[in-house]
Amino acid sequence: MKDEGTQVWINWSFAVPALVLMGLVNVIPIGQAFYFADGFSALPLDTRLVSSLKNTFVFTLATVLIELVLGLAMAMVLLKPLPGRGWVRAAVLIPWALPTAIMAMAWQWIFNAEYGVMGDLLYKIGLVSSPQIAWLAKPGLAMAACVLADVWKTTPFMALLLMSGLANIPDELYEAAEIDGAGPFRQFCFITLPLLKPTIALAVIFRAIQSFGVFDLVWVLTGGGPGGKTQMIALYVYDTVYRYLDIGYGCTLTLVMAGCLALMSGVVLLVAGREEA
Amino acid sequence: MPGLHLPRLLTLLCALLVMGVFGCSPAKESADGRIVLRYLAGPDVGGGSREIIRRFEALHPGIKIKMVEGPAASNIRENMYSTSLMGGESTYDITYMDVVWVPKFAAQGWLLPLDDRFTPEMQDEFLPGDVLGSIYDGKIYRLPAQSDAGMLYYRKDLIEAAGFKPPRDWEDLVRIAKALQDPPKIWGFAFQGKQYEGLVCDYLEFLWGFGGRVIDKDGKIIVDSQEGIDALAAMVSTVRTHHISPEGILTFQEEEARHLFQEGKAVFMRNWPYAWNLVNSEGSPVKGKVGIMPMVGRIPGSGAATLGGWGWGISAYSEHPEEAWKFIAFATSAESLKVSYRKGGVIPARKSLFKDPEVLAKSPHFAKLYDVLIAARPRPVHPMYARISDAIQLHVSAALAGQETPEEAMKGAAAEMRAFVERK
Repeated sequence: MKDEGTQVWINWSFAVPALVLMGLVNVIPIGQAFYFADGFSALPLDTRLVSSLKNTFVFTLATVLIELVLGLAMAMVLLKPLPGRGWVRAAVLIPWALPTAIMAMAWQWIFNAEYGVMGDLLYKIGLVSSPQIAWLAKPGLAMAACVLADVWKTTPFMALLLMSGLANIPDELYEAAEIDGAGPFRQFCFITLPLLKPTIALAVIFRAIQSFGVFDLVWVLTGGGPGGKTQMIALYVYDTVYRYLDIGYGCTLTLVMAGCLALMSGVVLLVAGREEA
Repeated sequence: MPGLHLPRLLTLLCALLVMGVFGCSPAKESADGRIVLRYLAGPDVGGGSREIIRRFEALHPGIKIKMVEGPAASNIRENMYSTSLMGGESTYDITYMDVVWVPKFAAQGWLLPLDDRFTPEMQDEFLPGDVLGSIYDGKIYRLPAQSDAGMLYYRKDLIEAAGFKPPRDWEDLVRIAKALQDPPKIWGFAFQGKQYEGLVCDYLEFLWGFGGRVIDKDGKIIVDSQEGIDALAAMVSTVRTHHISPEGILTFQEEEARHLFQEGKAVFMRNWPYAWNLVNSEGSPVKGKVGIMPMVGRIPGSGAATLGGWGWGISAYSEHPEEAWKFIAFATSAESLKVSYRKGGVIPARKSLFKDPEVLAKSPHFAKLYDVLIAARPRPVHPMYARISDAIQLHVSAALAGQETPEEAMKGAAAEMRAFVERK
């Protein structure tokens, strides 16, 4: 039998290829960002950074929360044995599989002020007095449009993540709860949610990171307008690098962005891990 | 693992890597051995560019010109050029550039200086503003093709009927507008108030007309000087105090302003020369009732025009600069500019065409237009112009909307510019 030290080295050696790859694609670019970063003194003066961070936080919070609720509902339905479940699961995933830029174009038409179907729908059910709503020209509505489009696209992905967690909860627990007389609601509160918590935390962090870095959807749908009211941090970084050709400050902005993400992930982990510890 | 063929997978991986390393830049020669030169431009409305290319290729059988028709939005084409040139690619041998791109591209070393070929004598044949806007750091990088400048359109009929004369200064314009307007049936003054590049052009005309500047000779930001604040206050007063412009001006680009004016719902309009043919077209309610003049300023004769306009450059990464020069020289010849004028109504950047009998017969207003163009000033020539423009857009727009006072707006814009622009 080998001693423990050798075994540790062997284990690590298996990880070497993965670590090298990680180093190439993570450590080097991050190091470069630190190396090229420049213009830190401009950060406190940068009003656009503040407003784009605010927009991004609003967008992230709204999308992740709505997607979590809808995704959980969707996951629980898809887990139930129903006829043709395979097909339904595949169909649900279609929005997620569509290229974002293309579906954002479609949403642009849906939200079109003159011909858009969304205004027409609301008009037909009597919620608004005119079908012509300038969705993408008003700050609040434009943000809502971005959130809605993102929810439509990414909820299936959230459901997929949560389904894997749900499938791991042993059926015996539900059976036992049933025998003890617990209804579906109490089963959900006392079995599903607590056992699903690690998966939820993972899914939320995963989605929050993606949402915080949103680019393509907003770029195509509103371009950051109107009046910069849907400008996200990633769009600002793009402008800084490609429009202002200011790579140094672009790196600084990316570092700010990375800091925000680390902070956010930390908060989620803290909240989720509190009772486990 | 069944179904997974390792060698094949490796080949695929290698192929991908090779593609990644060498990129997939387009072929430099066509199938028939001709040299291929590419450029990116907006949609070729009217087919003028195609006609010029056809004529050029007939004269030079060894060269093929490929025009890539990009999106109509010029800022997207600007990014497309930037992305390609940033990578040092020779995708585009020739650049068809807005006047404001020149400093940015030139400062990066993306453009070939044309001083050897484009001599001062040749430069004299073009409108001075267009030439000035093509120069960065003492070298010339662009061959002007299309000229453009902001100007004032007014309703000749209304002004004459009321016994007025065309306005001499800003105060005069406000007075006439107030006397003749009857909102919402007819407004006093239409301009471009949306948050975009056009807003900067309009603001600069106010700024220059009031004696201000964005950057002084030493590169210091002086846009928040008293002149700058007064200029913005005048612009804001149209919506906020004098009410000679509608509240909706905040969503106006060129076309919205033109529609309002063309439907007879505005006394004055600030716009580009393109609107002339349209407001005088068949079926236009104001046909023949429109006059043009240079924009007014704080005192008579101080009005200024913002220069727009397009021209040709050669990429520093082109493998065929000699052939590229042949094409851009051909495309800016008097003959070619006349083709663009005939087919697409493009305003030529060559002085001689404003005296051309054929052109004058079709467009008698070119005589007046010449006065506007000859006095037009380029926007701040600075490699960080995009940053300057965005700061002005944001704060002028906020002032028009009443969210900031003119003083707050200009101080804010200047602070942003100082933080980013003076640093460079």
